[in-house]
Amino acid sequence: MSNAPHILVIDDEPQILRAIRTILTEKGFRVTTASRAEEGLTLAATNEPDIVILDLGLPDMDGVEVCKRLREWTQCPIIILSVRDSERDKVAALDMGADDYLTKPFGIEELLARVRVALRHSTRTQGTQSKVVRAGPLTIDLSWHIVKRGEDEVKLTGNEYKLLAFLAANHGRVLTHQNLLTNVWGPADADHTEYLRVYMRQLRKKLEPDPERPQYILTEPGIGYRFIADE
Amino acid sequence: MNSANMRSSSFLPRFWRYFLSVLLIASITAIFFALREVLDTTLVALLYLIPLGMITAFWGFGPGITSAWITFLTFNYFFIEPYYTFTVHQATDVVVLVVFLIVAVVISQLVGRAQAGLAAATARELEATQLYELSTALTGLHDDHAIAQILAKQVHAVSQGEYVELNILGTDPFSFHLPEISTPPRPPELIVSIQAPRGLLGEIRLWRGAAPAISASERRLLQTFASQGALALERAWLAQAESRAKVLEESDRLKSAILSSVSHELRTPLSTIKAAASSLRSKEVSWDSPARTQLVAAIDDEADHLNMLVGNLLDMSRIESGALKPKREWNILSEIVGSVLGRMRHLVEEHEIEIEVPENLPLVPVDYVQMEQVFTNLVSNSLKYAPVNTVIRIRAQVEDESIHVQVSNQGPQVPTEHLERIFDKFYRITAADRVTGTGLGLSICKGIIEANGGRIWAENIADGLAFNFTLPLTWDGTKPPPLPMDTETE
Repeated sequence: MSNAPHILVIDDEPQILRAIRTILTEKGFRVTTASRAEEGLTLAATNEPDIVILDLGLPDMDGVEVCKRLREWTQCPIIILSVRDSERDKVAALDMGADDYLTKPFGIEELLARVRVALRHSTRTQGTQSKVVRAGPLTIDLSWHIVKRGEDEVKLTGNEYKLLAFLAANHGRVLTHQNLLTNVWGPADADHTEYLRVYMRQLRKKLEPDPERPQYILTEPGIGYRFIADE
Repeated sequence: MNSANMRSSSFLPRFWRYFLSVLLIASITAIFFALREVLDTTLVALLYLIPLGMITAFWGFGPGITSAWITFLTFNYFFIEPYYTFTVHQATDVVVLVVFLIVAVVISQLVGRAQAGLAAATARELEATQLYELSTALTGLHDDHAIAQILAKQVHAVSQGEYVELNILGTDPFSFHLPEISTPPRPPELIVSIQAPRGLLGEIRLWRGAAPAISASERRLLQTFASQGALALERAWLAQAESRAKVLEESDRLKSAILSSVSHELRTPLSTIKAAASSLRSKEVSWDSPARTQLVAAIDDEADHLNMLVGNLLDMSRIESGALKPKREWNILSEIVGSVLGRMRHLVEEHEIEIEVPENLPLVPVDYVQMEQVFTNLVSNSLKYAPVNTVIRIRAQVEDESIHVQVSNQGPQVPTEHLERIFDKFYRITAADRVTGTGLGLSICKGIIEANGGRIWAENIADGLAFNFTLPLTWDGTKPPPLPMDTETE
């Protein structure tokens, strides 16, 4: 089992640690836990985990600060845990380099899905990036810039394609408004969430079977968007 | 107030009063001199008394007594033989001169004293009027800022000072000054402390400027003003303390209401979870029985329910404390509605949902997460009261300068008199044990909609109940910014 992915969980609530450890161990992961930020940072440095699951509400250090410290030396995926109504902290941590988030209380499927996506993206950075992303009837060919719905090619404007390509390349991961806007329109437009609202509506109209109940381009309230592709 | 200041003569500076007195005596003397041949010496003496009396009456004791002595000399010099000397030959003339001097001085003194008395009385009356005005103005004021303002205004008016500053201590110290200029760069001419039985409440600082120095009576009047101010401040602070106590009492009562409602509401899902979890643990339920699936589903559902209750409580406390600050952005209403219904799809299965939210509605400047909360609460409320298999309709359209949204259901109508009150906290029309929830959902909607610049109300419609709310189409008076250019197709 030494090849099993290693997950470091940093949370100050013993019950949460116990539950996550039980479930992840059951699923075949190696799990290390820490209840304080300092301890967690030390363990991260010595054990070099494949994924860090980090609670934002630690008693001894601001969660955003922990993200920053980790990002100073490692690119390993960070999944943050936080309570409802802390969108500001979540967005700050995501923009500081965290990869994804989970809102407490969360279901175990959600946790496992995030872990899977995080592992896939971390291995991708080492290996080759998949150039074709499939989601239901949609095929997005990132190298040839072709988007198909079934057999029909979908005509997209320049920015629509840029936005979709960025989402698809990061499929499964949440992307913050700022991240999306900076990548498609540039840093000067990082505050114009209304561009995203309008473009997402256009994309959904062109791509989603039911644009009012999207299945592939999901809104993460107060945070950003997430593209769901086939596993 | 200085008594000399209060007289009509106060408009004339001292020098001019003396100068005019001498001028008057000189002109009278010139007239008498011209008529010297026809006027008897005694008559001249008598006639001289008229201007003397007038001078004392108008310009005061000093000019009066000075004029008396000048008249005495001119009378002697011009009208008593031998002329143009101060010598006197006839005994009768000596008598006339002496009597004239005595009468002139006595008249001056009497008239002067009467004038001074009158002036003092006028000054006292003015003081009394000013005090009366101040206490009338202060009556009924319960705001310390308003009191300080009135006090400063009155002190400024009465003292004719250049600058007045009031420093009020207390729990929330502040300072007020008149007029709206910067503080003069020198120490104030007068500092009067505002003293109350329980301690120092503040001080009045007065810059008098070029005006005459502050007299004892002015100081006394300002002291009286200060004590009036102290009384008013104490009264205001007592009233504030009392109303604070009332608010505390009210919030205490509310807290107990919340506690009792919450403990009841929290215990219901907890009981289910406890029962399900313990039976799963007891091995009474076999691993592959359908009962096990049901128990696990119950734990999952009730945990969600608990989470929602806690969320509602947090929202409510945030609204109550004024901490609900919307993060407004330009949003698309249909996206919000779609995302809410997507999340609630399992809950709405037993009802029919009809959505008439045109996707080309203009953008609305609202907080996305909070608006999701509003739709979630309104739909949950409809699900709770409307019978299964009925229609829940969500409609939105532009009306004037806002978007009008309606969430309607075919549930029971609400008596007209209750329509407004259903947005109150813990307000229920039906008995609390028949429906679950904290009784907070609608009041949270109200708090959120109002924080986002809209209005919410309920109305009975033909076949049920409708919740209506409006959302603004402009944000601080501006419309959404235009989208940047884009290439046509890739």
